[in-house]
Amino acid sequence: MSWVGYATVAYFIAMQAYLLFLALVSAAALRRNHHLRRYGRVGEMLSSRTTPPVSIIIAAYNEEAGIVDAVRSMSIVRYPRFEIVVVNDGSNDGTLGALIETFQLEQVRIPYRPDLESAPVRAIYRGRSGVDITVIDKENGGRADALNAGINAARYPYVFCTDADVVLDPDCLVHSMQRVVEDRARTVGVGGNVRPLNGSRVQLGHIIEASVPKRLVPRMQILEYIRNFLASRPGWSWMNAVPIVSGAFGIWKRSVIVEVGGLTEGHMGEDMDLTMRIHRHLLDRGVPYRIVYEPAAVIWTEVPDNLRVLRRQRIRWHRGLMRVVSDFRGMTFNPRYRQMGMIAWPGFVLFEYLAPMIEFVGWFVVPTAWLLGALDTTALIWLLLIALGMGLLNSLIALVLDESFGFFNSPADTSRLIAVAVIENFGLRQMTVLWRIRAMLGGKGTRSWGNMERRGVTNLAGQQ
Amino acid sequence: MSLDLFNQVAVLVIFSINAVMLTVLVMLKVVHRHRRLDHDRRRTAYLGVLSRHLSMDDYNEPITETMAEDPAFLDALLDMRNALTGDDASTLGRIVNHHGIIQRQMRYLDSSWLLGRRLQAAVALAELGDEMSAETLMRHLDDPEPEIRIQCGRGLGRIRWTPAIDQIVSRFGTEIPWVSTRFSDTLVGYGAKATWPLLAYIRINHPYETQGVTLALRTLAQINDDQAVGPLLEILEESSDVEVRIATVYALGELGSPEALAALDALLDDDEWALRAKSASALGGLGDPAAISRLLHSMRDSNWWVRRSAAAAIAGLPGGIEALYTALDDEDPFAADAAAEALVDAGELVSARRRAEQEDALAEPLLAHMRSGWS
Repeated sequence: MSWVGYATVAYFIAMQAYLLFLALVSAAALRRNHHLRRYGRVGEMLSSRTTPPVSIIIAAYNEEAGIVDAVRSMSIVRYPRFEIVVVNDGSNDGTLGALIETFQLEQVRIPYRPDLESAPVRAIYRGRSGVDITVIDKENGGRADALNAGINAARYPYVFCTDADVVLDPDCLVHSMQRVVEDRARTVGVGGNVRPLNGSRVQLGHIIEASVPKRLVPRMQILEYIRNFLASRPGWSWMNAVPIVSGAFGIWKRSVIVEVGGLTEGHMGEDMDLTMRIHRHLLDRGVPYRIVYEPAAVIWTEVPDNLRVLRRQRIRWHRGLMRVVSDFRGMTFNPRYRQMGMIAWPGFVLFEYLAPMIEFVGWFVVPTAWLLGALDTTALIWLLLIALGMGLLNSLIALVLDESFGFFNSPADTSRLIAVAVIENFGLRQMTVLWRIRAMLGGKGTRSWGNMERRGVTNLAGQQ
Repeated sequence: MSLDLFNQVAVLVIFSINAVMLTVLVMLKVVHRHRRLDHDRRRTAYLGVLSRHLSMDDYNEPITETMAEDPAFLDALLDMRNALTGDDASTLGRIVNHHGIIQRQMRYLDSSWLLGRRLQAAVALAELGDEMSAETLMRHLDDPEPEIRIQCGRGLGRIRWTPAIDQIVSRFGTEIPWVSTRFSDTLVGYGAKATWPLLAYIRINHPYETQGVTLALRTLAQINDDQAVGPLLEILEESSDVEVRIATVYALGELGSPEALAALDALLDDDEWALRAKSASALGGLGDPAAISRLLHSMRDSNWWVRRSAAAAIAGLPGGIEALYTALDDEDPFAADAAAEALVDAGELVSARRRAEQEDALAEPLLAHMRSGWS
């Protein structure tokens, strides 16, 4: 086998070792978390007057189908003091009308602090229905622009940036803000556990029963989210080197977002860009800080349920990742950025950003070596089995970790996830690699956001 | 070792680990399902046993060692303990003592190496709140596990164990914020008994540290004991730490004593905007309409948060709403905006519309302000 072949195998082994290391560190972190969830007194925060208030910010663009359910789901969150700020980002459907009607909004003229730049604000509305809701109606400027406007309007020191297509677990705020209260001076950001809701039963803005859909595409994403949020983020959080706080669930100290200039409009990975900018900003200034991940803080979101939409999403994500990797290349293996620069970020670049390229090269190198006789059939089979086995191991560790949360009660659900851990290696995974290569090539079709085809969480949930 | 042999060993090892993980997953699934169902069933049965012990004097079914070690029994016991009051609670306490349940939990807390069991024991002791456990709980205020320290503080608070107050207060400056905040909640439960230890801590430490002192001040604010007003005014005078002064002003506002009026009034002209804003809010907390004219002046402050705080404070004072309506015509547009925001927050927009329907002239300025559009 040529040196390229050996390099590919070495890369693969290093990647799996890195993932395994993260999974084991995550397992240790989750073990303690499991005890605290059972016996800890997070509930005491609900009656404590020292609990910091939070502004929930939702960016909404043409979300008529789901915005009311989303706001209702947020309004019943168990937390002592919070406000909901919905930013209608120039929707051309009935998003604003639905909000005005349901929450009895009235246009008000109140001060607005333009700490961050955003497209012009047309009007501000306040609710009269008992829900502490403020709606910012602004001209279209994109998700990041809308969130920036929401951050400007936020009255509280912590902002929880999320989307309109999510269902919140009632305790998600109290669990995540516990991490802030633990160390208020240093904690600038908290990420939560994002789970796909496709297939689950939703009623009145609550998940009644979590379930795994029969359709393969969302099922594969459920496994992917479990791997990501349970077998790697707790490990990064333990190192204080979380490279991405998900855009669907990110709590930030408002003042820190303002310091770094808010979210970057037009960026396809604005959540990762923001997280990395905050890391760089605070590390450059030598400010002690931490950005943590809290697995018990759960939020449910709609994921693409067909290949066409998934393809568009993955191309967009990879374009975002490419830009972030380029923007923060100076942090890679830079000791000035400590564990972020030396472990987490290089790991992310090597095994997340470069992975599709290396795998793509492997598709040619390994069969070529086999055809030229440099690799015999038995060795090829063994290599493929090692690849399959290592990938499967990562998925199984993630599923074992997920079991302690008890979301999927039925054995059928777990069996489906185990099955998809094997099936995904035969087609789906390769497709993802191709989409990411497509993203790297650029050109038409890779620079737009595309539509998610939202149907509203209540309509989507329960679909198999 | 040849490459083939290496590959074979690697595949064997990887798939063996996979098989182990799969078995663990299946076992966890079975155990969790079984435990969830069985735990509920056992808990219900234990509730029955405890109810019979409580209601029948001559009932003597023993609470066995196995039973007392079962987490489901502890859950049943704590549920029942929280549901009972008066004589029934005392009877349950006697049953618990008679069967050595407290001693067992103390032993677990002292010597178990399982974090889950120690946490469960700490929760049980905190919930049962028996004086017998006070010494153990005091000792574990220095436990390496933060959650256990919190539970011990909570348990001592539940027992109202006075010697613990000084111990808890003295940890304010050294504890991690999550624990010290929960300790603060515990001290609030002690009420006025904690006032002087907190004041003593503040007096001694305010020149040297901020975190513990500000928490102690916030705790005093919640205890709401008038005895603290005089010493707090002295601390406000002496301290040069802005954070400490802000927390003192907050506490004075919460205590709501008229004695603080002059000191808070003077701070409205302080160089530090955060102190001006907090003083404005605190003046609102005193409930004295005499502060309105000074607060109206603060609504023209150069800092938006001070303007907003002053307007919100006015809204809460007797006659404040009328004063804010007047301020809508203020020559300073920022003051007018702050007044409008405070009126909207106070729910005046709805009242204004209703008043307008009844042709009440007072409503017009606010509606006109809203009509003028957002810019």
